[in-house]
Order: sequence, then structure tokens, then C-alpha cells
Amino acid sequence: MELTEQTILLHAPNPAAAENGRKLSKKGSFSALCKTQDNTVYWGECAGSGKTPYRVSVDWLNPDAPVCRCSCPSRQFPCKHALGLMFEQLAGRDFETAEIPQDIADKRSRQAARAAKKESDEPPKAKKTNSAAQKKKLARQLEGLDMAEKMVNDLLTAGVGTLSGSSAQAYDKLAKDLGSCYLTGLQSAFTRMALAVRTIQQNPGQSDTAYAEALRILIYLRSVIKKSRTFLQTKLETDNLSSEDTVLFEALGGVWKLEDLHAIGAFREKARLIQLSFDVSYDEAKKEYIERGWWLDADSGHIDQTLNFRPLKALKYVKGEDSRFELLEIPTLYTYPGEGNRRIRWDAASSRPLTKEEHAALPALASPDLATALKETKNQIKNTLLPKFLAVLLPIGKLGKVENAFVLEDPEGDRIVLRDRPEDGKDHASTDRLALLPEALPSGGALFGLMFYDERDRTICLHPYSILTADRIIRLQF
Amino acid sequence: MNLQPLYDVKARLEQAAIAGTGLLAEDFRLQKAAENLKPLAAASPVFAKIDNGLQNLLSAPAEERSGQLLDLLALVDAVVYTQGTCGISGELTPLPTGCGTCESLSYGQLEPLLEALTSTGGGRTNLIKDAWENHPEYFGDFRILPFVILGLGESYAELADLIADILKAQKPEIAHLLKKDFDPAGKRDMVRRVEVISALEGTAATPWLREVLPEAKKDVRTAVITALGSDSQNTEFLLELSKGERGLNRDAALQSLALQEGEEIQKFWTREVAKNSRSVRFLTPSFSDWASELTAAGLRSRLEKALAASASVSMEDQEDLLLWLEAANHKSSPAMLDFWRFADEQADLVARLKNHNGRPLEFDTKLTDRLFSFLCNTGTKPLCDLCRELWEKDTKQSRWLPHAFLAALLTRPAAEVYDCFSAYVPITKPLAGSKQKQEFNDAVLKGLSHVSWSEKRNTHVIAAGDFPLAQPLDSRWMEHLIKAVWKTSPERQRLPFSTWEQVDSFDIYLVRLFNRSDEGMCALLIPWLRERAVETGCWDTYSRWIIDFGGSPRGILGESMKKSKRAPYLYLVWKLMNEASGVLSPEEIASLLEEIQATGFFRKSSDETGETVFLKTIADLRAGRPFPEWDAWNI
Repeated sequence: MELTEQTILLHAPNPAAAENGRKLSKKGSFSALCKTQDNTVYWGECAGSGKTPYRVSVDWLNPDAPVCRCSCPSRQFPCKHALGLMFEQLAGRDFETAEIPQDIADKRSRQAARAAKKESDEPPKAKKTNSAAQKKKLARQLEGLDMAEKMVNDLLTAGVGTLSGSSAQAYDKLAKDLGSCYLTGLQSAFTRMALAVRTIQQNPGQSDTAYAEALRILIYLRSVIKKSRTFLQTKLETDNLSSEDTVLFEALGGVWKLEDLHAIGAFREKARLIQLSFDVSYDEAKKEYIERGWWLDADSGHIDQTLNFRPLKALKYVKGEDSRFELLEIPTLYTYPGEGNRRIRWDAASSRPLTKEEHAALPALASPDLATALKETKNQIKNTLLPKFLAVLLPIGKLGKVENAFVLEDPEGDRIVLRDRPEDGKDHASTDRLALLPEALPSGGALFGLMFYDERDRTICLHPYSILTADRIIRLQF
Repeated sequence: MNLQPLYDVKARLEQAAIAGTGLLAEDFRLQKAAENLKPLAAASPVFAKIDNGLQNLLSAPAEERSGQLLDLLALVDAVVYTQGTCGISGELTPLPTGCGTCESLSYGQLEPLLEALTSTGGGRTNLIKDAWENHPEYFGDFRILPFVILGLGESYAELADLIADILKAQKPEIAHLLKKDFDPAGKRDMVRRVEVISALEGTAATPWLREVLPEAKKDVRTAVITALGSDSQNTEFLLELSKGERGLNRDAALQSLALQEGEEIQKFWTREVAKNSRSVRFLTPSFSDWASELTAAGLRSRLEKALAASASVSMEDQEDLLLWLEAANHKSSPAMLDFWRFADEQADLVARLKNHNGRPLEFDTKLTDRLFSFLCNTGTKPLCDLCRELWEKDTKQSRWLPHAFLAALLTRPAAEVYDCFSAYVPITKPLAGSKQKQEFNDAVLKGLSHVSWSEKRNTHVIAAGDFPLAQPLDSRWMEHLIKAVWKTSPERQRLPFSTWEQVDSFDIYLVRLFNRSDEGMCALLIPWLRERAVETGCWDTYSRWIIDFGGSPRGILGESMKKSKRAPYLYLVWKLMNEASGVLSPEEIASLLEEIQATGFFRKSSDETGETVFLKTIADLRAGRPFPEWDAWNI
């Protein structure tokens, strides 16, 4: 495996940890650097602030998931010392060849034994559900729905315009109450309402946008409440307490575990994925960063997404994701219920660079034409429970400008205007970057982006995220 | 199909939601919108469904209205989405080719840099500096470049200047990005843009500069005029500007015109300095013969006037004289050389000039000092020849000796210079005439104090102008200087390592002359430095020098510390040892620590700590561990 700076960043919990590791390496904090004959384990000592240096090692037996060990008390994993050791490797420092230390050898064998046991073990039996508790929870959720509906009705009777006079704390309180009714999905929606209220109170100039946002939330809430009530009542009446393949589970605030997804058959095997784009946004309502990767299935051409949530409070301790440029081979790929670009997850994957042929084949996975993608987008955005955009890969006939507008023309001659989606914010602005590309784009490529409805001129537009050519993916985001 | 009635219904429903369903019955606009939708409802089932929903909403009991309104809004939205148009007509022009680079750089690689460029607060300069040193390719990335340009508007000037330097190192093609959104009436960021564009494009920036000039205001205008000066084709234009501009903008035009050539320019400047004597200051950087002749004539006439006047020199005339003298820098035309000869001939009279208070004007000293300074700045052959000529005219006076010595270093073989001038630095105490001999000694040392070894050029250079001597200094000088009787220096003492120690400037100048990679020279210097460390008690400075020249202060460090009479701070010891640990072996560092410990000479507050950390560090170093961080000592 070739160690690159990107590989180190990928394993780092966040860029700052990697930077701290780089600094340790740069100022020569490491000593007694050793490695095994087969170049799989590297270890050394790193001077810290204490009396004794930290003993740190990196085991590259599985290059996609190196095992980092360190005697420091840091809760970040891997810690800056392990990352620093990787930078020592990257800098080509002299590592003396030595026998693997006994403690690392022991840990390695114990880990191998655990992995072997896991493989040989039968799949875990489904947990027995406590039906009384489940029923109690469903009843509580129904109560919560009534409460939410009352709030929605009250607000509409008085008028959304009264939001500016309402206390944001009232919405915060209701949101809290909904949380105790196991309705964290609705809780977030009400927190967003509270945010809209604050925007109107603090910045009356933005009230139009805030009212529009509040209306969108209300329509969503109405839909979720209505559909969820039927869904929960049916469950309660039919005594069906197991998880189901429906978006309502998550909309209400349910959290899927991989085994649950496995249980409902939401998985496929031997998937090959290529990341098309990566971006990070901040959700003010949930106070968390959302790291989103857009992935193309190299076999089916389907586009799905990974979402990594990093709450602000635990930012240091939740590992951040990063852009990936290799092809991932995933033994079992889990897919969340839903339509369009569904959320995907996996617990193990191996990576390798794409071959020339694989690269060249990517643009062919685009939608057959603009019209097909347009139809799919309209179908998605009219569904009140789904996002108001669809990630699509469109074939490029021509890419250019009509007056000041960037435009994509598909091979059939149909056109779509390229522009930034206002909801994505300035930090996601990428359309203007098309004019900065250093070289002319060869024909036969594909453009990946988010297709959305722009209220301002009532048109369907595309927010471009990346361009696929026969030999590379040019990322307009990251 | 005209969908306006549908959009009107959507707008009215949204308005109804904002106003409250309690007012629905009185909303005649919604009712009118519903009426207008009827033709569409007759044409399509989906519009009929909306129409039906509207009727139900308007006739629903109050408690059901909210739900119905939201359901209807959801339906209308869905229909509006499906009716969304796509595309644009018109001629499709291909995308322009941009100027950024396009590499596979990840979010993790670029995000910290983006954050530093777009946020506020401390620590960003270092981050950007580090990124520029380690990954200059990040700055050309097409996703980063626009933010780098925005960074020119950074309120922290040091950072903004760093960003300007980074941009100046990019491809000239990026200039068009800088020109985009350029605000000629802008502030400091736009000034920096002009400077960067001018640096990137050189003379090619002229058309753009001329284009933006009419709209340019305040500092931006000054910057544009200054930038125009870098193109010799702009002479006519700048001459024109000098007529219309005022204040700083006119100064910028004059500054630019001072660097232009031609008959027109010469005429202009003759008129200009005749009209406004102070404008001569703009001629200071000019090397041109015409500027030199103009300055020489002006300077001579002013000096003659002062000499001819029986009264003292007025404040205005004094300032004027000094301004013209300053303008003589960088000039060595025959007329200028003649002026210096004239000034030398008139030395006695010049020395008698008095200022407006009746005190000596000391213009003779000023003339001597300025000529020396001009020689250090330019070192041209005519100036060197002049300096030697002035000195040879009267070798009994030390006035022109520093000039002649420096001129010889710049023009003559090194051995010849040594043979000719080393005798002025005695290595045995003279029995008679000490005062005059010491004056000569100081004069030669003054010359040498401006010479230093340049690693970059691998030869000795005149530090002020960074240009090389004719040959590297004769190596005999080093031994000679170490043995010199009078090591006093005319310059004040300085602090070479920004520590608290005051070191004699002779030692500073001497050290500067030595080439660190010449082992023979280092072997000559180190014993001298060890001796001086003990003599002066400046343990920090001399130890650093000894280490710099490949030696170790072992054996004198403790003694020097004792001599200093000032107990050292533990942090200074750590700092020295930490830096030495990058050069010396761990065993050597351990020995030095033992030596320091043996002095038992610490500040009271550090005494016990010193003992503890020294023992631990010595043990760690001998166990092969690296030298610790300050945190480990600061307990």
C-alpha cells in the first residue's frame, strides 16, 4: 500500500488532529522508530509532556483499517501520536527493522481470534422485543402526534404571520416535549420552526424567506403527522412491532442499526462504489455537522449517499469523513428505506485505485437523457416526505453559457440551467467554478449534481457538483 | 397553457397561511384566485382537484381549515413542481478556459486552508504560511483561488501582505480573476489587487490600468499610477497625469516619471525641480545620468549659495540642502563626481557653515557619511574610483579611509587590499601616535562592519546592497582581526539573538565575516569565541555562535555563566539546549547539562526545578530519548 497524505487524513478523526500529528513529526518528537520485517507494524516513542514518552504503534495488516495503539490518555482515535507516526513513515524516516514487541503481538493475535470467532459465529439471533414496552412507546408517540397537530393547527388558525410575535421558547419547549414522546424527527422540525421564529424576530428583512421555510416545515409536519398516525395505529392494532421498510420510521426519529436493516433485507452484496462528491454542512437545528458523500454504484449506476452526523458537542470524538478517490469494494452494503438517493452504510470495505477502463466506463452510467432525470426529479420533489432535490448524473452534450447562465445541453439537445441551490448556502456555491476549470472538457463526459425546483423563476435547475470525464472526476465541491 | 391562475392560487394560499385561517372567509383575493382557476379546472383533472380543494377549504368549519389548507398547499406545490420548466434558449457559447489547477485534493486537505482564508481570529497566518511552505499547490486549486483573492481584503495587514505575495507567485493567467469584480473606488484590498496584477503581468497590465484609471479613487488611483510607472511606454501618459493630478496621486506620477528615460523627461524634471525644489526627493532611486547631472547641478548651486552667504543657513535652506544631498544616492555621473570633488576642496569652508541657531551645521560630516552610505548602496565603479581618489589626495586624514577601503574591496584583488590596508589595524600596540592610529584603525573597522559572508552567494558581500566584493575577503584578515589591538567599534552594541545579553559590536561584525562551511576558518574562530564567552559572561550568545560554527561550548559554558553575575532563567537554558539538540549529540547535550548543573547557579525560583529536570533530562538523553519540550521543564 502506498501511504499518502490523503490516506493519513482519511484515518484522522479531523484535520486538526492530523495537523498536530504532522507538527510532532516535523519537530522530531519521535525516537526509537522500528518496524517489522514485513512492513506491517510500525512503532516508536513520542515525547509528550510527561516523564515517560508515549509508546505508539500502527498496524497496517489491513491497510484500509490500520490499528493504531498509543499509551497516551487521549480520547481521540487515532490520537495525534499515531498520526504523527504515520507522518514519520510518509517522510521516509529510518525505521529500524526489529521483532514485533510482545504486547503488540499479543494484541494482534487476540484481535485475529476475535475476528475468526465473529466469522465462524452464527448471525446473532433477533432480539426479543418487549411488546408491552413497545406498545407503551407507540401510544406515547400517538399522544405526541396529537400534541404536534394541535400546535400546527393553532399556528395556522392564528396565522404564520404571528410567528414574529411568538416566543421561540414556546417552540423549543414543544420540541422538547416531542422528544420525550419518542418523536425526535418531529422534534427537529419544531426546532427548525423555533429557528425561523428567531430569524423573523432578529432580522425582519429576512421574514419572507423565514415564512416560506416555516410553511415548508408545516406542510411536512402535516404530512408526517397524518401518515404516521395511520402507520402507528395500524401497528398498534395489528400487534406488528417489528421494524418496517418505510421512511416514516426515520421521519419520526427512529435510528436504524445495521442488523435491523439486514433483518428487513435492505442490503446487497459485493457492491462497488465510487465517490462522486463530498461536502459538509451545518444543521443549526440539530447543532451538528453533516458530512455527505455522494456515491455511484459502478455496476448499476444508481446514486446513493452516505451521511455522517457529528454533533457539535462531540465533535472531537466522532471521526470525520473525507473525500475518497478510490473505488470501494464493499462485501455488504446496507441501504436505508426510501426512494431516490437513499442513505447507505457499510461496516467493512476495501479500496483500490480505479483502472483506466473503470474510469472510462463511468460517464456511461449517467441517465440516458435529461428528460428521464427531469421526470424522476419531479416525482421525488412532489413527495412531501422526500428532499426537494434529486442527485442525478447527466450525460454532457455541450457545456457552456447562454448569456450569463451556465447551461448543460444533453446529447439530445435538451438544456438545463446550472445554478447553485439557494438552500445549500454560500459555502456550497460551485457553479461559478465551472469558469475556472483549467482545461476544456472533452466530449462524452457526464455532469453530477442536484436537480431542484427554483421558486424564483419556477424552473428546474441543476446545482453542479462534479464532472466525470473518461479519465478523472473533477470535483466542483470536494 | 397559461398557468398564472395556478401561481396566483399558490400565492394566495401561502398568504392565507401567514394571515391565519380565521380570516379565510374574508379573503376576497383568494376567492378571486379560485374563480380564475375555473377555466384550468375544466381543462384538466388535476386542476379540478385543486379547485375542489379550494371550495372545500372555503366552506370548511373553522377547526378543519388548518389541515385542509396544508393539504391543499401540498397538492398545489406538487402540481407547480410538475409544471416546472427546464432549459433556456439562445446561443450556447463554450465555457472559457480557466486559470486554476485541478488536482484530486480532498476536503480534509483543503478545508483548514479555506477556513483560515474565510474566517476571522488568530492563528490563521501561521496556518496559511505552513500551507504555503508545505503545499504551494493548494493555492492554485480552482476551488481555493477565489478565496485567496478575497483574502487580499483581510484586515490583518501581515496576512493580507502574505496573501499578496502568494498571489504574485501564481501564473499570470490568474490576473483576469483579480480584474473581475475590481472596484476602482475600493479600499486597501483593491490597492493590493493592482499591485498583484502589475507584478503578474508587468507591462502587459498597461491597457487595463489605463482603463480603470478614470474611475479609480484615492489609494487605488495612487496604486494604479504607480503601477503605470513600470512600463516605459507610459511616459507621455504619466507626463500628462502630472499636470492634472494632485497630492499623493501626483507624487505617484512623479515617482514613476523619475524612473523613465528620454529628452522629454529630462526637460520635465528640470522644470519640476526649478518650480518645486522638494520634488527632487523622487529622483533618489534613479540611476540615470540625466537625473545625476540635474541633482549634481542643483546640489552644487545650493552648496555654493550657502558658502557664499555670510549669514548662517536658514532652516528652509538647510532642509533643502539635505533633501538634495539625499537625492544624490544611486548617482555617479561625471557631474556628480565633480560635485564630490568640489565638496572635498571646500571642506574647510563647509565645516564652518552654521545653522539658523548659530551652531555648526556639520554638513562636512553629513557629506562624508552620505557618500559612504551611497557607496554601500550602489558600489558603482566610478564611485569607487572617486573614493580612492579622494583618499589618495590626503592619506594623512582618516576622513575618506572607510570609503577607500570599501572601494578597494569592491574593485581590487583581495590580497592587494589586505597588503594595502591591514597595516591600519595594528596587532601590536604602537609606541607613538596612538590617537591618530586608532582613528585609522576605526576607519578600516567601519568599512569591514559593512561586509559579511553570504551563504547564498558563497562569497563576501556588502550587506546593505547585497552585492559581492571583487574577491572574497583575504583569509589573513580573520587572524589579523582576532589579534587586533583596538577591538572597539564605532557602532553601538547590538543584541544578536534577541536575548538579554549585550555583546560588543566588534564581535558581531567579526562573526559575520566567517564562512560556516570553512572548517579551517571555524577552527580559528571557535577558540576566540570560547575566550570571549568567559571574558564577557555572555554565555548564551557565544554558546550559540560556537554551536553555529560547529563547536561545542563544553568546558566554558559553566564558567561563562558564573562570570555573567546574573543567574540564568531556566527557560533560557532550555531554549539554548533545545536548539543545540538539533546539532549536537545527545551525549554532548547531557554533558553540557551536567556542566550547568555543576555551577549550581540558578535563580532561586528555578533552583530546585533545575536540579530535578536536569537529572531527568540527562537520563532521558542517555537512554536515547529526544530532548524534552518546555512543558516537561516547566514544572
